[in-house]
Amino acid sequence: MKGRGKMIISPKDTITTPQTAVIVINFTLGTGILTLPRTSVEKVHTPDVWLTVILGGLIAMMAGIIMVKLSLQFPEKTVYQYSQEIIGKWGGSLLSLLIVGYFLTTSGFQIRSLTEVTKYLLLEGTPTWAIIMPFMWVGLYLIVGGINPITRLFEIVLPITVVIFLMVTFMSFKIFEVDNLRPVLGEGIIPILKGVKTTSLAYTGPEIMLLLVAFMKEPSKAVKATLGGIFMALIFYMITVVMVLGALSVDGVVTRTWPTLDLIRSFELTGLIFERFDSLLLVVWMMQMFTIFTMAHYAAALGLAQLFKKSIHPFIYGVIPIIYLISMTPKNINDVFKLGNMVGTLALFLFGLLPLPLLIVAKWRGGKQ
Amino acid sequence: MNLSRNNIRLLSVSLLVLLLFPLTGCWSSHEIEEQSFGVGVAYDKDKESMVEKEFDKQAEGYPKKNLITSTYQLITPQVASSTTDQGGPPQKSYVNVSETGDSAFQIVRELSLRSDAPLTSPHMKVMVIGEALARSYSLEQIVDQNLRDNDFRPSCLVLISKGRASDTLESKKAGEIPAFRLAGMIDNTYRTTRILPPMSLIKLESKIQSGSSFLLQNVLSANGEIKFAGAGIIKGKTKKMIGFLNEEELDGVTWITGKGKGGLVKSFDKRTGQLIVYEIESMKSRIEPHVKGNNISFDVHIESEGRLSENWVISGNPLKNQFLQRAQKNAEKEVKHLIRNVTKKMQKEYQVDVAGFGNQLRIKHPRVWMRVKDNWDQTFSEVSINYDVKLTIKDYGTSGSKK
Repeated sequence: MKGRGKMIISPKDTITTPQTAVIVINFTLGTGILTLPRTSVEKVHTPDVWLTVILGGLIAMMAGIIMVKLSLQFPEKTVYQYSQEIIGKWGGSLLSLLIVGYFLTTSGFQIRSLTEVTKYLLLEGTPTWAIIMPFMWVGLYLIVGGINPITRLFEIVLPITVVIFLMVTFMSFKIFEVDNLRPVLGEGIIPILKGVKTTSLAYTGPEIMLLLVAFMKEPSKAVKATLGGIFMALIFYMITVVMVLGALSVDGVVTRTWPTLDLIRSFELTGLIFERFDSLLLVVWMMQMFTIFTMAHYAAALGLAQLFKKSIHPFIYGVIPIIYLISMTPKNINDVFKLGNMVGTLALFLFGLLPLPLLIVAKWRGGKQ
Repeated sequence: MNLSRNNIRLLSVSLLVLLLFPLTGCWSSHEIEEQSFGVGVAYDKDKESMVEKEFDKQAEGYPKKNLITSTYQLITPQVASSTTDQGGPPQKSYVNVSETGDSAFQIVRELSLRSDAPLTSPHMKVMVIGEALARSYSLEQIVDQNLRDNDFRPSCLVLISKGRASDTLESKKAGEIPAFRLAGMIDNTYRTTRILPPMSLIKLESKIQSGSSFLLQNVLSANGEIKFAGAGIIKGKTKKMIGFLNEEELDGVTWITGKGKGGLVKSFDKRTGQLIVYEIESMKSRIEPHVKGNNISFDVHIESEGRLSENWVISGNPLKNQFLQRAQKNAEKEVKHLIRNVTKKMQKEYQVDVAGFGNQLRIKHPRVWMRVKDNWDQTFSEVSINYDVKLTIKDYGTSGSKK
């Protein structure tokens, strides 16, 4: 078994610790950047949402640590390989298939919400397939190269995202009102807890560590990389939620479909080269969507390859129609959001609840040996 | 082997060349020369234009109720090119088109039946809502389409007009675009206390959703000239307009909220009856809610620093602190008068809170606010409000003593 694992992951395919952190950030930030202010306020109803965002991040960090510890039990193996060692061949295969299904649905969902936004606000009149297909082809081109090109692209994309995103959101300071964020804890702690599920689901992303640890040059630093990645995502979300709430207020934000985008659409700065920054934000966001989509695509293909112990290439091509079909399943935008919720719930079970018992079983079995 | 490799190379190169073609154009692009850019819109209660009446006389049209008249201010390609032409009499640099109907969106689309350059609205700067319309329809319904739209930006400013809104989009000055003039005037807050902080569509939406009452800048028009004159009061419960604050009352509101950036206080010296003008350099206000059982009251602390900018009191010598203090007291009295005046209007005549008292209660006493927020305007009309105004004259410009 061990030998086979190595056969698929060639020794060249290793990534450094910072690269791992970059993947975790990129894989976390997706549709949530645009919708989190609304989805969380819908549950919390007070300006304390930013506390809920922190809380969600902490929960994600805990889940991340458990997943990393689990993966560390089986050096150089991905979850698809070691799950069979923990819960047997059939159970392990079933779990792997579920995880593959999760990654496929994630990539389908992300690509669909990308088209929903671009179709309405950027490329009105362009058919859905004409947006999805080129996107998938470019993704395919990247994935075929394996984990290294993927990581390198992520490394290029992330700094651009950070700089432009921060610049654009901070420009909205013009319409920021502190009163919209007050009072802090006005209605106590209960409203905050109501939103925790929503915000922690915004942090789905660390689950990629179930595969990535196997690729890491120094797996011992995996926990550090995961925590770093989630922390960065937390900062991103915090800034987003605070700036959006400060401008749109609790009452205003719940009526906006894509609140973060509306924030950027709500101000114009005269005197600079650009007056409007929505397209800049959209570009950055699309790059993030690309990273999350390609990573999920790759993770699914890798899963199938390791499950059937075959080369990854046919699977990379093979899952494309499946992802396309998944992305075209939702009939309207409410279905898209429903699909997003479904992916979240699946993640909650697969990566929130399951890893801990798996870890305990693995440790117990390891001890017995 | 070699040949087939070459063939493959040839094939892929030609494919690459083919790929260049999609780069030449957008999928559904529209030429910029074929678009009319809307820069302003005015919503009024129905009043069909002459053209529309003529159209209706000639043919039946489509089933609709004449409820809203939208007037769009367009910068059309023809207008844009004609203004750059040399010679000839100066022309208007805008075109106003009116259309009547019951759906704001249908009205926009109807315009494409009347022109080869349909309206696009990503450059809308102002929206003016006529008094009659605002009094009879909820603002939530009036602006729904614009907020939903992908073209119409939420940064568009919203104003109210006593009289017909479409008249505020007229100008007699050649080369002037009325919508830009309106949008630019909002920036004059550093000169007067009679301009409200800009209310963009997105801010309007949060006000509407919060259910509290608020103000919208009122703009008057006469003979192609316009003026900001007070504010329209929108009642939070109905989202309809219920009345106006005049310029003096708006002064009072600005003092209570402390959001002013400049302006003046004109007062008359008690001893001589002569004019003294205090110019505001800074303004700060703190609204402090107090809750005792079911009794809610407010203390408003206002502080301002400024300058003696005009002085008609011949005997008054600004070099003497005694006179400065007299002037200060005078101005303070005037500010207190302004505030009392508008408070009375808010509490007694309209029974609305448009100065942000409720907001401070929400922040300082969230639990009390939960209890009273549904009937806040009613509750507010009976609370007691204490004011404490402190003005400081820092200097008196370049003139010192009169004699």
